[in-house]
Amino acid sequence: MKPLFEVKDVFYNYPKQDEDVINGISFKIYKGEIFGFLGPSGAGKSTTQKIMIKILEDFRGDIYYDGKSITEFHNEFYEDIGVSFEMPIHFSKMTALENIEFFKQLYQNNADTEALMKRVGLWKDRDKMVGEYSKGMKIRLNIVRALLNSPKMLFLDEPTNGLDPTNAMILKDMIREFKEAGGTVFITSHIMSDIEQLCDRVAFIVHGEIKEIDSPRNLKIKYGKREVTLEYQENNQTQTKHFALENIGQNETFIKLLKEKNIETIHTGETTLEDIFIKVTGESLHDNG
Amino acid sequence: MTMGRLRILIVGELSRLNKYNVFSISILVAIIWSIVLFFIDDTMLSSLLPFVLLVDASLMSVMYIGSVTYFEKIESTISTLLVTPITNSELVLSKVIANTIHNLFSSSLIIIAFYFIRDIELNFLLLFFGLILTTMFFTIAGLSLSYYQKDFTSMLMTIMALSFIFLIPTILYMINILTWEGWEYILLINPIQAAEQLIGGGFKGAIYNYQYYIGLIYMGLGSVLLYLFHTLPKFQTYAIRQSGV
Repeated sequence: MKPLFEVKDVFYNYPKQDEDVINGISFKIYKGEIFGFLGPSGAGKSTTQKIMIKILEDFRGDIYYDGKSITEFHNEFYEDIGVSFEMPIHFSKMTALENIEFFKQLYQNNADTEALMKRVGLWKDRDKMVGEYSKGMKIRLNIVRALLNSPKMLFLDEPTNGLDPTNAMILKDMIREFKEAGGTVFITSHIMSDIEQLCDRVAFIVHGEIKEIDSPRNLKIKYGKREVTLEYQENNQTQTKHFALENIGQNETFIKLLKEKNIETIHTGETTLEDIFIKVTGESLHDNG
Repeated sequence: MTMGRLRILIVGELSRLNKYNVFSISILVAIIWSIVLFFIDDTMLSSLLPFVLLVDASLMSVMYIGSVTYFEKIESTISTLLVTPITNSELVLSKVIANTIHNLFSSSLIIIAFYFIRDIELNFLLLFFGLILTTMFFTIAGLSLSYYQKDFTSMLMTIMALSFIFLIPTILYMINILTWEGWEYILLINPIQAAEQLIGGGFKGAIYNYQYYIGLIYMGLGSVLLYLFHTLPKFQTYAIRQSGV
């Protein structure tokens, strides 16, 4: 399958800095896919996004969008993409609707912004100054802004950061709906549940290097513990035993315990993506803030 | 560059100048100047009115564009504009045109008030031509200046310093305190002096000597060169810095 985005051996260092903050990363994003970039703060997630959306231009390596180098695109590139930055960015002394209407005029294609604002629960507050909005409302408005040109591809930087669980769920549903309608999504996040629930594939990034790329499921199969944990009563005390999942049906100790003991709990070992991240990269997602 | 998008951006800039109360402040300043000028006698009015218009078109232009970029800095709105189909030249030009329109509005208030109240004789065409060129030059210079300021306070401090360096010699020359002949030539490098010549050309009795034409070239060509070789090329770096890089 032809990738929509292809990043090949990209390096980047900020002006007046000697060291590269992006160190030869390569990955492909296929059409209709939700691709996640998981890493701690300072790992290079936002920098990679800024390179991909042509804000940072002096990178080394190759990046292709729809088969054409992004360096060959001019501003028409932005007709195709929608971007939501981590921090809410709006004109605070203008109403939400005035903000949206202003940005809408800058694009050739326009989405139904009334429907979008209703979807994120902001339509009733459309005439309020954005300065009066809560952080959660501003983040939801960010998403409306990113979608107002009916983009082919969405770039979301820490999309649910600062959102309450209900609004985070609405936003995740919108991202899934965007994908179901044929859209492609690039998400950067340090929040494990976002990546696990949304992404078809995820890249682990640390110190500007990609350590692993695969689907969350494959990563769990590859790196997760495949075991069953049994808790049972013995001599009025709770005992715990772990068994490998391989040939569990032929494990006599396991079967004997099932038959003879009072089993309290039984569950398969579920290694989290965070555990796998630490195992693969040797870094915690929260070390650097 | 498309005219449609440029128009949208100019209207957006003007609307924000209004929403962020920059318009109200400029009208207030125009009213204060009008009151001050109303109470002075005719002999002083002929020299003070060009000076007021000069300050309005030069230093106030820098101040207003500085406040616009300050609001953009604290709200990081440039980041969002960078990922839309608009080009940097459309963005920069819209700011220059909007600030010029805005500033001309306040200058016009002062001029209209005095045209009717104090019966002054003006060449409106040359006066507005001078005001437009001066406002554009100082708006472009103000934009470039704002790239290097951390906040609005540092912008104000820089404007104060530049006023001292450029405005004071022009005032001293205007009121005949600097009498040495050489000042006539030294002040040719001063943009405020160039603007003073150009705006003065719109008043009765103006002399269109070589200083007037140097002022015209300074403001006109200076605007174009500053825009092409500094304000526009450095805009991308400035805008990226605003996006948290």
